[in-house]
Amino acid sequence: MSCFELRTPASSLSPVGERARVRGLQELRTANIEHPTSNRTSTSTFSVGCSMFDVRIGATVLAVLVFAFANAQAEPVRLTTDGALKRDTRFVENGTKLAYCYDEGPDLVRMLQMKMDDRSITPVFEDAGNRHNLEPSWSLDGKWIAYTQCTGNLTARLVIHNRAENADAFITHAGRGGTRSPTFSPDSKTVVYAFAETGPQQLWSVDTAGKNKKQLTECSGITNWPTFTPDGKTIVFANSRENNYEIYSVSIDGSNERRLTENTIMDIRPRVSPDGKRIAFVSTRDGNYEVYVMNIDGSGVQRITRSEERDDYPAWHPNGKQLVTVSERDGEFDLYLFDVESTQLALGD
Amino acid sequence: MIDFGSFKARDCGGSTRRSFLRTAATIPLAMSAGLPTPEAIADAKSRAKAKSVILLWLWGGPSHIDLVDPKPDASMDYRGPFGTINTQTTGMRFTELLPRMAARSDKFSVIRSMVNTNNGHPGAGTVGLTGFEESPGPVQPNFGAIVSKHRGQTGSLPPFFYVGKGIPRDLPTRIEGYGGGTLGKAFDPFLVSASDRGEVSIPTLKMMPNMSPGRISDRRQLLTQLDEERYRLDAAKVEEWGHKYQSAYGLLTSAEARAAFDLTQESTKTRSSYGRSTFGQGCLLARRLAEAGVPYVQVNWSEYVETFTPGGDWGWDTHIYNFELLQDRHGPIFDRAYSALLDDMTERGLMEDTLLITMCEFGRTPRISNRAAREHWNQCYFSIWAGAGVTPGRVIGQSDPKGERPVSRPITPLMAGTTIAELAGVGAQQRAEMKVLDGGSVIDELF
Repeated sequence: MSCFELRTPASSLSPVGERARVRGLQELRTANIEHPTSNRTSTSTFSVGCSMFDVRIGATVLAVLVFAFANAQAEPVRLTTDGALKRDTRFVENGTKLAYCYDEGPDLVRMLQMKMDDRSITPVFEDAGNRHNLEPSWSLDGKWIAYTQCTGNLTARLVIHNRAENADAFITHAGRGGTRSPTFSPDSKTVVYAFAETGPQQLWSVDTAGKNKKQLTECSGITNWPTFTPDGKTIVFANSRENNYEIYSVSIDGSNERRLTENTIMDIRPRVSPDGKRIAFVSTRDGNYEVYVMNIDGSGVQRITRSEERDDYPAWHPNGKQLVTVSERDGEFDLYLFDVESTQLALGD
Repeated sequence: MIDFGSFKARDCGGSTRRSFLRTAATIPLAMSAGLPTPEAIADAKSRAKAKSVILLWLWGGPSHIDLVDPKPDASMDYRGPFGTINTQTTGMRFTELLPRMAARSDKFSVIRSMVNTNNGHPGAGTVGLTGFEESPGPVQPNFGAIVSKHRGQTGSLPPFFYVGKGIPRDLPTRIEGYGGGTLGKAFDPFLVSASDRGEVSIPTLKMMPNMSPGRISDRRQLLTQLDEERYRLDAAKVEEWGHKYQSAYGLLTSAEARAAFDLTQESTKTRSSYGRSTFGQGCLLARRLAEAGVPYVQVNWSEYVETFTPGGDWGWDTHIYNFELLQDRHGPIFDRAYSALLDDMTERGLMEDTLLITMCEFGRTPRISNRAAREHWNQCYFSIWAGAGVTPGRVIGQSDPKGERPVSRPITPLMAGTTIAELAGVGAQQRAEMKVLDGGSVIDELF
């Protein structure tokens, strides 16, 4: 008799993660296991609860089971099924909701939020009309939502929405162009975003009232996708000064800049994990858009997704153990939830 | 001096005397007098392999540097943020946005030295689709109209289709060279569109209530409804009505036509392979139309950038968010749809007698703008050619180290149109009789 232990304690999983785990186990329970030495086919008796295991199957089959279990565990949970092109994922309100944008039509991008307990989906703003709202970011205190809003031909502005007062601050720059990728500092007092005003695209900051706008960086190339460490002391971002997008980190005072990735193709959309120890990002280093995780210093890169189709827009669940992605499967774009640790175990990276 | 349409080769920086002479040599001497030589006629006959032509029209002007002509050694204010990847073609690299196409580059050839005389969308679009400027008029016929007139209608399907949102337009101006031009409106394209879910619609029929391909099954019922519609019109519009609805009627009452429009006859795997985008499903529809014997299908890219430029039909016109749009949407969508179309046509044996071209009206500024994007650039851009006898796996033409101008023979839309016509069987004699593509020469490097 043997007992197989879950690597992820049940208590640490969200309801969705729980469903994922159970689904993985159910798949395993009914899987036919091919005996590698005697060509005997047997049905595993392993199941949640009893954890009984037929010792006669032997050590080789145990290894197969472990591998199969790990792979089953690595299967992501598909959160949506509409297949429309999606982008800009973020868990909000302590992970009870998932915000994202999707193409409601060929010329309308809508900002939505999904309740994670029942998967119900509603617009973030009921009165958005036909305005294109992109790249939402929630402040950690829950009081503010920052996003990019297209306002007309070749122009877009940053909107900082005060949820309690239902009031907006608009941050604009002269001439055409648009802000990109707003994100809140952990103290919820500042929004950092990207904008190109006079050439190279830089990082800017503004307070939640829309005041004190200032340019933070003076980089060459294109700078984009700022994300804070939880202590608010470091910003991680991507920049193209070295021929292609690479990921960097820099202290909030501009010191200690470090290059975290180094290859000949793009590393983009970094997102610092809730515990500040890891960064999820997107790279084409293996031939197409895939999601990876690395340590905060750039070491220990591990691939999370593995598909010939596109995996993009990662966002951490506040539990730090799951990532949501926009993944293309058979041409359909949907939201998928990955359990990071079991995926790493399964893939052996 | 040779006049490529209204483009003066000598005006384009970098045009060498050798390339100039070579260009001259490709033009039959008798062409200017409207009398093709016997050699030209023989050449045309030997080249005429395209039963169908599919033109993927990347309306708006895609950045050549960010796609098929990267300049990784240029300074940062030119080269852009994308890495480059190997292709199957020696000496040719693409950006990382086109990995599937890079893996199939031995199936097509890329021209990197396209030039246009016009730098605004409608005007450049007309040059790109007819070979000539809109003014002074009259507006010349679209390449598809020329092929359409030569072939005529066989069966119930019109000979010239536009697949997409409609006639490409800037706001508020449409491309004047969209259709029949001097050949007449009878040779205008027939408009159809495919949604990202693969639902095909015929805009002409939207004017008639309660009429759609799915609901029309009774021929007499359809006739009655069409007649009722006709009587509502005044006399002046009856003739135009007749042309439009004759085609629509033919489509709706023909099992062959309805079958060509029915993307559900494709397997889920095939439909998915093109991607669930309007362009992807439009490419699939184009393949079905070509397979059904339609001589000319133009698929117009018109999606997505409208989010940032509402109210228009701007396609690849990425004055803002150029890099974001290319990496988030346009690059992956185009890479997937083009590769699927190429694979699908190859598997079905269609590449032997179908010409597949990707073109646009111009490229985008090699120098990155002060808003981290790229503007219009007509002095150097690209086109992609495959099938119908085109030798694959070649890079034709070369741009300078910044991607600003060709350093080899410039290729004009008039030359592209002449090559399309030749491959579709419209030889010099027929072109002279139609009074079209005057002065055009074939792009010999493709063969």
